[in-house]
Amino acid sequence: MGARSELREMARGFRWGRRPMVPRSAEPYAEEAFDEGFPTDWARTEVGIAARQTILNGVMHPLVRSQVSMRVYGLDNLADVRGPVLFYSNHSSHLDATLIMSTLPDRFQRKTAVGAARDYFFDVWWRQAFTALVYGAFPIDRAKGGRGSIDKARELVRAGWSIVVFPEGTRSMDGHMQRFRHGSSRLALELNIGLVPIAIVGAFQAMPKGKWWPREGRPVVTVRYGRPLYPDQGETHQQLSLRMQHAVSLLFDEDRTTWWASLQHAERDETPSLLGSPGPAWRRAWEGSRPVPRRGRPRAWE
Amino acid sequence: MPRPGFVLEVDERTPPLIVHEGEGYRMQKFPLGTRVIYPPDALPGLRDLGAQIRHALLHPVGDSKPLPELLFAGMKLTIAVDDISLPLPPMVTPDIRQRILEHVIELAARAGVEDLEIVVATALHRRMTAEEIRRMVGERVYRSFWPKALYNLDAEDTANMTIVGQTDQGETVQMHTRSATSDLIVYVNINLVAMDGGWKSTAIGLAGYESLKHHHNVNTMLHSKSYMDPRPGHSAINDSTTRMGHVLRDKGVKIFQIESTLNSETFPSQLSFLNKREWEWSAKDQAVMMAAKKGNDLAPPRVRREFFRRIEAPYKVTGINAGEVEEVHRRTLENLHRQQLVEVRGQADIAIFGIPYVGPYNVNSILNPILVHCLGLGYLFNMYRNQPIVREGGVSILYHPVPWEFHTIHHPSYIDFFEEVLADTTDPKEIEARYEERYARDPWYVHLYRTSHAYHGVHPFYMWYWGAHGRDHSGDVIFVGGEPKSVARLGYRRADSLRDALEMAKDTVGSSPKITYFHAPPIMIADVR
Amino acid sequence: MTTLALEFFRSAPRYVGARTIGAKAPGLIAGPLAPIRLVNRKDPEPPKGRPGWARVRPLLSGICGSDIATISGRTSFYFSPLVSLPFVPGHEVIGELLDDCEDLNAGTRVVLSSVLACAARGEDPPCPNCAKGATNRCDRVTVGHLKPGLQTGYCSETSGGWARQMIAHRSQLWAVPEGMDDRSALLLEPFADAIHAALRANPQPGDSVLIVGAGTVGILTLLALKLLAQPGHVIVAAKHQRQRAAARMAGADEVVHPPHAAKAVRRHTSAVKLTPERGQDFLLGGVDIAIESVGSKGALDLALRTTKAGGKVVMSGIPGPGADLTPLWFRELELVGAYTTGLESLPDGTEKPTFQLAIELASALPVLADMVGATYPLDRWREALDHAMSAGKLGTFKVAFAPQD
Repeated sequence: MGARSELREMARGFRWGRRPMVPRSAEPYAEEAFDEGFPTDWARTEVGIAARQTILNGVMHPLVRSQVSMRVYGLDNLADVRGPVLFYSNHSSHLDATLIMSTLPDRFQRKTAVGAARDYFFDVWWRQAFTALVYGAFPIDRAKGGRGSIDKARELVRAGWSIVVFPEGTRSMDGHMQRFRHGSSRLALELNIGLVPIAIVGAFQAMPKGKWWPREGRPVVTVRYGRPLYPDQGETHQQLSLRMQHAVSLLFDEDRTTWWASLQHAERDETPSLLGSPGPAWRRAWEGSRPVPRRGRPRAWE
Repeated sequence: MPRPGFVLEVDERTPPLIVHEGEGYRMQKFPLGTRVIYPPDALPGLRDLGAQIRHALLHPVGDSKPLPELLFAGMKLTIAVDDISLPLPPMVTPDIRQRILEHVIELAARAGVEDLEIVVATALHRRMTAEEIRRMVGERVYRSFWPKALYNLDAEDTANMTIVGQTDQGETVQMHTRSATSDLIVYVNINLVAMDGGWKSTAIGLAGYESLKHHHNVNTMLHSKSYMDPRPGHSAINDSTTRMGHVLRDKGVKIFQIESTLNSETFPSQLSFLNKREWEWSAKDQAVMMAAKKGNDLAPPRVRREFFRRIEAPYKVTGINAGEVEEVHRRTLENLHRQQLVEVRGQADIAIFGIPYVGPYNVNSILNPILVHCLGLGYLFNMYRNQPIVREGGVSILYHPVPWEFHTIHHPSYIDFFEEVLADTTDPKEIEARYEERYARDPWYVHLYRTSHAYHGVHPFYMWYWGAHGRDHSGDVIFVGGEPKSVARLGYRRADSLRDALEMAKDTVGSSPKITYFHAPPIMIADVR
Repeated sequence: MTTLALEFFRSAPRYVGARTIGAKAPGLIAGPLAPIRLVNRKDPEPPKGRPGWARVRPLLSGICGSDIATISGRTSFYFSPLVSLPFVPGHEVIGELLDDCEDLNAGTRVVLSSVLACAARGEDPPCPNCAKGATNRCDRVTVGHLKPGLQTGYCSETSGGWARQMIAHRSQLWAVPEGMDDRSALLLEPFADAIHAALRANPQPGDSVLIVGAGTVGILTLLALKLLAQPGHVIVAAKHQRQRAAARMAGADEVVHPPHAAKAVRRHTSAVKLTPERGQDFLLGGVDIAIESVGSKGALDLALRTTKAGGKVVMSGIPGPGADLTPLWFRELELVGAYTTGLESLPDGTEKPTFQLAIELASALPVLADMVGATYPLDRWREALDHAMSAGKLGTFKVAFAPQD
């Protein structure tokens, strides 16, 4: 058989350029293993880390700063934190992961991986490669309850990596926070690691769902890190999720008012809920898209 | 979770499949509807093998005391070991036999045993070279015992072979004298296929021609359906061996049997695609396969041979059992079937086998045409239980280049067998009647067997009988890719491609036959209902 | 609340890419060139205050040739005002009602007749076609209190079958009979379309018929023809082995490879065959009726060139561009379009909705369930599309999504 016809038989038989198929009679025995689709561990090697930090600090961070007016507060909360932690925040924009990764202190930045939705970020090879490289990302299976994703997250934390997750599971449609899924609280309880709440204020206004570039006018975006939470003895994951939600609400309140005021509100159980009022959709979207006030001296042309 | 074996039905989504053909392989596109039998996934190996061996020796099964209690100072101890015909391919060192031997010898040393000899149970196989033995038993054992107390069995050394007795069917039981007169024989076995182990280890491994001729004959072979199915009544050779084993037992030969089973991780990681199902090959697997195939096709024969010779199987041990022969073997077979058994419904009109590059009798050697016949119509054909894969009168299609090539040192009697005997007749009964005795007693062959590294003069006959059942059962045998002259001498037909072979098969099975391809290696047994 | 859905969105570069390199590298169409994304979409809500709507949970939703054509950028711009972007594809649906819908209780299994006609759009009085029961010919598919969209599966407001939740109007729903499994029920919509196409051909007893294409549509059309009429000699032209085998089993008198179809028709009808300098051979003479179920230029050419003068050519799928209409004029042929389903006039004088006819006939066809060759969850949509695009070659008839998996 000539080399060319051999190659053609291979190409046709193995469906080069198309998706591989399992013969019908082999389907019952097909492996249902959690396949990452594309391994991401290469991005967490020394070379990968170095490349990522260069991209984040040299390209992404300056780029974001040029398009939005970015403020960062609360990094001193991380001063005493050691070992892997689970960073989490509200999720309303594609900016979120970049904002977090580029503002983390160096010792966390080099060893943090972002959990990204498998169906969205890991479906084609170049998106996978980009997400893995720039965010050190690992896939989270949104659809099927994500068993395998927990395994991967566990593996990373055990290896000393911190992870970033967005417990809402998807970006908010109207700027308000959605109910937290329990995967992250479950993981934190199992591995007994700290949870660092982050409030990202203004990202929805700057670049909501559907937009791929911030809007004009250098909108204000604030990234507020909070004090780490630690799982309590005997706490359930539902209780922990509520605490996690509350911690972010607290940070939003602090951002709107002052730290002292936010603590008082918390004492009196008056922290405004971020889940938004159950009103008509236009009201929610209206409230959620209210622009974040600029701090400091107003500019001449405002 | 290792998946069971299963029967694939080739459809439009099935890629071309691997078929082994000697020192090489091809990617064959099978006609739609062809059934392909796949072996189960490799079982995981035992963790902490050392502890498992120790446990087996201290907690034997069946009517047997723990090994330390059977050892005492002043005893005559013989350890018998399976020879180079197992496992296939040779496994990565340390060989399991080395590990077991080291444990046994340690216990013997502690018990104060002094008269200890290790015999390689070759029966009428060729003697192993010093290097081959060293690889098998390890440096420590080799240096301590070679050459005086570690040696190959010499079954033609009449001074050192005794007739122990006779079965009730008149079968002579002959055995290595020292073994028969030891206080204890410890047998270290690897059970690669269902035919191995049990009484075969001692009753055949340590026997000579006088014993062997009672079951290594055409009649017994034709009544072994199959010899890979050792259930009573299914394998005449196994029944005979059991009878002989009982004579040994009743005559007071004490045997402590240690059997090990392996998983099916046959090929090393560079060739890992050979262990996987084709549609599960990653892009990397496909690339490696094509590169390996191209490299192999272009390489000169000597390079190719050396490449295949060096393949070492990363086998893992799935079980160790020790104690009384029959009880040990029962458990061994359970482990073996767990790894190898595949359920198949119904027979086919055409069975297809790809013959691999190595069989029990050509390790570090050449697979000559007679061995091709033995490996194909003997071993592969008989890897079944209940019924052969192909129906009676159906066609067996085998893939192998069948080169007219013989190893002059290992297989001298084969050359004469091929040139003299097969040129005259290919009928096993005829051959047995007219030629066997002469070859078995020929002093030149005996000399080469005893002093060189040659298989016994009678061995090619056994190889011919080994395929007698397969040959008898098949209506036609066609070799794809075989050299015309050698195939013709064997008495078979040949074709250049599967399509031509199927065309030729039309004479026997018509134009829409049911086809089954036995996708081995890795080794498996088709349980055909 | 949001649920998982596959969304078709506007993407000019993908459209251009699919049209130019899509033909050479079809694998890319299921890959980066697909204008499809998996999203968590806001759940569709029935139009405020409008009765007759209910939420449906799709259990199985098929991938149809028209879906593939839309994704590969091969459909005409004619459709652009008839759809509202972004939409969730999927118009072959068997699902479960999540709400009560007039006389149907929540939990009932239903199949969708996907056209969004006057009744669904609240158009009162209805257009003349809807008034006659020919909802497939509705003139108001872009107005009313729903966004434009000729069918569910092309309308941004209703969602579609390739999602975990969609909405439907009572006028679109048919209850699945007890005892009919999901897979057979999935085939009801294409079967109804096939029945409509077969009856549009108005076959007279003894008519000779050529069916071009033996995919799902072709086979179902053949079955419909055999069940509802008494055709004479039926020839089926099919490209792939499994399709030919299915055509034989479905009762075709002769099954041929497409290049040999003209010869087969010639033999049977004793026609004269002519070979133009360019283009396919054609016949002077030929079959009474040709049904084209592939949707390609070559298939329509074949149908037009092998039909006798005054005969009828039925187009049952979205046509591909470029067919030569000369034989239509020269042989005074009738070119008939068959689009979804409506009201059928039966030989005994009664009228029955096509869907009802389909449900009645389907119970006698256990083979329908076997036509579903593979189902995929939504997150494996690239594999599903890749499979559907080569379905014929891979020996599959229908590929479907199982959105709840």
